[in-house]
Amino acid sequence: MTACLRFAPMIGARPGELTLEEASALAEHLASCGACQGRLADEEALSGMLPEALLAEANRRDFSAFSDEVLTRIPALGRAARPAPRGGMLAPILGWVGHHRLLAAASALAPTLAALALIVYLGQGNAPEGAPVEVSSEGRSTMVLETSEGPVVLLGDLEPEGS
Amino acid sequence: MEADDLALVSRAKAGDPEAFRALVVRTQRKVYAVALGIVKDRDLAWDISQEAFVRVHAHLPEFKGESSFSTWALRIVSHLAIDSVRKERTAIKDDIDDVRETDLAGGGEGILATALGNDPQENALRRELAGKMAEALAQLPEKHRTILVLREVEGLSYEELAERLGLHKGTVMSRLFHARKKMQALLREYAGIERGEAAEGGTEP
Ligand SMILES: [Zn+2]
Repeated sequence: MTACLRFAPMIGARPGELTLEEASALAEHLASCGACQGRLADEEALSGMLPEALLAEANRRDFSAFSDEVLTRIPALGRAARPAPRGGMLAPILGWVGHHRLLAAASALAPTLAALALIVYLGQGNAPEGAPVEVSSEGRSTMVLETSEGPVVLLGDLEPEGS
Repeated sequence: MEADDLALVSRAKAGDPEAFRALVVRTQRKVYAVALGIVKDRDLAWDISQEAFVRVHAHLPEFKGESSFSTWALRIVSHLAIDSVRKERTAIKDDIDDVRETDLAGGGEGILATALGNDPQENALRRELAGKMAEALAQLPEKHRTILVLREVEGLSYEELAERLGLHKGTVMSRLFHARKKMQALLREYAGIERGEAAEGGTEP
């Protein structure tokens, strides 16, 4: 267990973050320490879950007024702020499809249209606080499509933005 | 996406409000997620996220595209969020970073991984735990919330964490160890997973 004092905190290091000596000593320790193997397994099993959880929290909020509120706080841009759009549940989806009609006509959009079947629309504050928002499993995140009329969340094998 | 962002950044720098809006819209949820993870309070997180974009706009002329726009925006929001919770920090005195023998006792290592691996309902447990994770995070002390968010959501390396938090690399690693251990204990509790045979005189509260 004394060895674990040194090695347990190294678990979860990314490639290149440990010195070569540390990395090989850790590998050697892991080979013979059940507790640290368990720590590593937990770390791997929970990997990616925190960003997923916080993004799901973000997805519960209606962001339709967010960018206008930001612009209003910037004197140079305040004039560009516009009132939050109001529309039916399908308006953003139809609007988005409309914006991409040319692509659709070129049949380049088949996978996206299939994904649209899985759309959850979070808009206009319709979703009550705390309403369940589907979060995909196996480390995949939801993808939020921003339309001119509000956020649309696509569920599926889509890479999360940015990271 | 990066090339696209760069084009929007140069349009925003030239004063195009819609280009700036597009950048905000692309990153707003991630920015909010980082703020929320650190400050816990939804309205405060919302306000800090907006303030972050105000700062982003003010500093656009200095943005050279060395990192992605999103990385840059996340760095600004996490600075603001950390500043706003700084006063929490001194309140907890008995919370040291060292890893001691007692920290290693009866931790239930591997139990979550086993439960997740054996889950017959294809990740139902994972989804359940992900649903509880924000709640669990909010129960951690400020320094543990912060380091987990910076590491897992902002994606900082040990070196970047050390620089950002003013710590030695060893302290970064041990603080992360404590943060994960607490998080995992809460998740086991939520999932109703007992420590079972692994519990041999555990000293956790
Ligand atoms: Zn060990």
